Amino acid sequence: MGLSVSSLFGSLSSLLNWSKDKDVRILMLGLDSAGKTTILYRLQIGEVVSTIPTIGFNVETVQYKNIKFQVWDLGGQSSIRPYWRCYFPNTSAIIYVIDSSDHSRLQTSRSELLTMLSEEELAGVPLLVFCNKQDVEGALKPEEISEQLGLAGGEKGRDWSVRGSCAVKGEGIEEGLDWLVNVIQKK
Amino acid sequence: MYHLLKGLHEYLTRKDEFSVIIIGLDGAGKTTLLEKIKTMYNDTPGLPPDKIAPTVGQNIGKIALPSAVLQFWDLGGQRGIRTIWPKYYGDCHAVVYVVDAVDHERLSEGWEVFDAVLSAPQILGVPLLLLANKQDRSGSLSVAEIRNNYEVWYQHKIESARRRQGSELDNEQRRERIASLDVMGLSALEGTGVRAIVDWVFIRVQNSKRRDESS
Repeated sequence: MGLSVSSLFGSLSSLLNWSKDKDVRILMLGLDSAGKTTILYRLQIGEVVSTIPTIGFNVETVQYKNIKFQVWDLGGQSSIRPYWRCYFPNTSAIIYVIDSSDHSRLQTSRSELLTMLSEEELAGVPLLVFCNKQDVEGALKPEEISEQLGLAGGEKGRDWSVRGSCAVKGEGIEEGLDWLVNVIQKK
Repeated sequence: MYHLLKGLHEYLTRKDEFSVIIIGLDGAGKTTLLEKIKTMYNDTPGLPPDKIAPTVGQNIGKIALPSAVLQFWDLGGQRGIRTIWPKYYGDCHAVVYVVDAVDHERLSEGWEVFDAVLSAPQILGVPLLLLANKQDRSGSLSVAEIRNNYEVWYQHKIESARRRQGSELDNEQRRERIASLDVMGLSALEGTGVRAIVDWVFIRVQNSKRRDESS
């Protein structure tokens, strides 16, 4: 009995996974002016575009190494952060962008991140953190930010990676995406 | 009815879950080992070695054995990120330390780091396995050579400390730990030794001190 029930569960869940493969949805989040939109267009057209603060969201389909992602770049201003959660269901991965040079708001960024990660709908979803604006003088190093975020030991149920990036120069973005693609593909 | 069956199913198939951390210097082959374990024990294959880049953070993996579930954490090994390891010491049931047996130049750096792991108070009672990886490569040190290399490095360290401070730094607890240390050979790339390692972990976590504490 136990065996047949478990094999039924197994086949049901593989069916669910199969349909999920068709829609790889990635949320890109972070405080306002962290560089989310710049990263998005860097990925999509490979260029730096001049951006204005996102009110609402930008959605683009990005083709990266033969996977198609739908990247949702959600606005980061405090008034619209409560709406992030509307997009949590069916998310394959989260990219969280932090302005490494903005020391004063790192704690805010951290608490927004941790609040989000505690949502049940995002349990087990892989997390990539870009410590962006590494080119700015006085920017905190990824290791320092990682330490402050406290993911180590606190987020045991998901794959995570905290990396440096510079969206305007395109540095670190691909390496981060490579990691994310690998993690998503083996799910 | 559904909940009754579901509960029954969960009860019948319940397994103890154990946490294992995989640590060591960058480039030792920790992620390759984790992915190989996944490939050999799970239906969905892990990443092929050529797709693996340095880990900056954590990779996770879970395998179900007939009577237990092993949860692995593969932690980044670069200098700046090694500080995250101790955050996992509090609740892991076994520690696997991977050494690149080909990279002779970084052996002593590896021992320095290993030494800190060996003497960390939170994991003194936790099973510890030392792996000599890359056995498929020519010029790799064998299990015996790795063990010997560590002993020599350790004696050297003790002596220079004694000369400096004129005191005995060695202690009983750690000598016991070194004496009971298991060292195994591995080729994470080819999968040689992987099953023996998983068996070792499976057997040792059941007798782990931490298990007695928690139950």
